[in-house]
Amino acid sequence: MYGSASTHDIPANASTGLENEDPQLLAAFEARIARGEKIEPDDYMPALYRKQLIRMIEQHAHSEIIGSLPEGTWITRAPGFRRKMAQMAKVQDEVGHAQLLYSAAETLGKTREDMITDLINGKSKYSNVFNYPTPTWADSNVISWLIDAGAIVNQMANAKGSYGPYCRALERICAEESFHLKYGHDAVVHMATGTPTQRRMMQEALNRWWPPIMTFFGPADKASQHTEILMRWKVKMASNDDCRQQFLDMYVPKILEIGLTIPDPNLRKNEETGRWEYTEPDWEELKRVINGDGPCNKERLAVRRAAEDNGAWVRRALKAKQQAPKYVRPLA
Amino acid sequence: MLTSLDPRIARLGLPDSQPTIEPKEALDQFETFEVFHQKKDGTAYAYVGPVHAPSADVAFLFAKEQYSRRFPCTGMWVTPTRAISLTRYVGDTESVYDTLTESLPTHAGAAPDESMQQAEAYARGEEDYAIFHLKKRGKAHVHVGMVRAASPAEALLQAKAAFGEQRPVVNVWVVRWADVLTSDEEDRDIWSTTPEKKYRDAIAYKVQDRIDRFKQEQAASPAN
Ligand SMILES: [Fe+2]
Ligand SMILES: [Fe+2]
Ligand SMILES: [Fe+2]
Repeated sequence: MYGSASTHDIPANASTGLENEDPQLLAAFEARIARGEKIEPDDYMPALYRKQLIRMIEQHAHSEIIGSLPEGTWITRAPGFRRKMAQMAKVQDEVGHAQLLYSAAETLGKTREDMITDLINGKSKYSNVFNYPTPTWADSNVISWLIDAGAIVNQMANAKGSYGPYCRALERICAEESFHLKYGHDAVVHMATGTPTQRRMMQEALNRWWPPIMTFFGPADKASQHTEILMRWKVKMASNDDCRQQFLDMYVPKILEIGLTIPDPNLRKNEETGRWEYTEPDWEELKRVINGDGPCNKERLAVRRAAEDNGAWVRRALKAKQQAPKYVRPLA
Repeated sequence: MLTSLDPRIARLGLPDSQPTIEPKEALDQFETFEVFHQKKDGTAYAYVGPVHAPSADVAFLFAKEQYSRRFPCTGMWVTPTRAISLTRYVGDTESVYDTLTESLPTHAGAAPDESMQQAEAYARGEEDYAIFHLKKRGKAHVHVGMVRAASPAEALLQAKAAFGEQRPVVNVWVVRWADVLTSDEEDRDIWSTTPEKKYRDAIAYKVQDRIDRFKQEQAASPAN
């Protein structure tokens, strides 16, 4: 899973640094992307491209790992053995996605350990939706279905991006996501078409999750030089708003057909413009929560840190076998 | 102490706040390995991604977990990233072999037969090298075959002689075969997964019947 390539946190007037790039190399780089060829780690790339990709892939990786926590906590309490097994398989997949993505980011020159340190210290971000809790099994189902659905919209777009290692990782990730989506849909349908209590639980969970879902893709992109360049370089593949529209197109009908309601009286498709209209999400809340003041921020990082601390002795023991430091960045 | 809605986390008794952690030393990390997998019997091994591990056998274990858990696999090769020599990357329609300036010394006289060649090669201190081609940027390197040479540089020239007519070749990886840890034919049962894991396949979830039934019921009792 994942959130958007958050270009909105770059100040609009920030320098692109392009004046420091070799014009010939830059032109060849842009021509390669325009031809539809991928960029590989050993190629020349502008500093801005590298920096933005590291940030984006790293955030994506963190989102997979932190995103596995609100669902992971339901494994032992999932109703029935089959659902426990399936929930466990999904959570394992998500953690595996993080591994693939950390590797892809490493090819750009940031080490895995540095990324994990930055996550634990709150220096790099992850998808904000995971700062909200899953108080019931139904909340976990909403994540499995709709947060993964949002993630898939993003990932399918990014899989057409220009950076080779990220594309390779996303190809495997997307294959597994198809299971997540079906699994999540099945779980939600089961509850929504079940007993009145199950229906109520599911509706309440959807009510809780709808506002975070609407912020999932980030605020509409401001027109900026950065956004324009990153789109030309196929780093950012679709605008935040287009992703949100695509998500609503695909999933609003599926939510309504199982008798659930969406807690936004203003949500409707404008038949003239073909665009969804909705109550503007609370972007101030998003900002506040991203910056640490959400219901679960502390808990997510504390749990991640406990895993790091508790695993330290294993890493020490394994590393004792290693003669000399041999870390190098992966090739592809 | 950290409070959580989640009893399983509340029980951990985690501290409410902690100082930031120190970054690790730049090289205080596990070695990097690259992994190749065979998707089914008889197909070429292809690059699947890296792992980090303190040794080749642990790398193999991690690789199996990471890359064969979800996809069919009948064999795996693992090699330290440092053991791979690579060419530069060219465009999707080119061959990197065309950019090699040196060429192999030509042998005078009739070529000896295969087993003679092999014996002589080993006697000269030559070894086997595995050759991998990348045909298209963004795709995976694929094993195209083996050559015998005394160094990675010579192996690349041998590869040009043996596989140079293939096109396009965006990039070549050369690895001394002795540096590759391979899965054993005798252990092939490690790749078979139990058939009872249908629950992790998208195809196992057929929800449309339930939705249709629900819609019919709703239509039958509109007051509901
Ligand atoms: Fe994922
Ligand atoms: Fe997810
Ligand atoms: Fe997922």
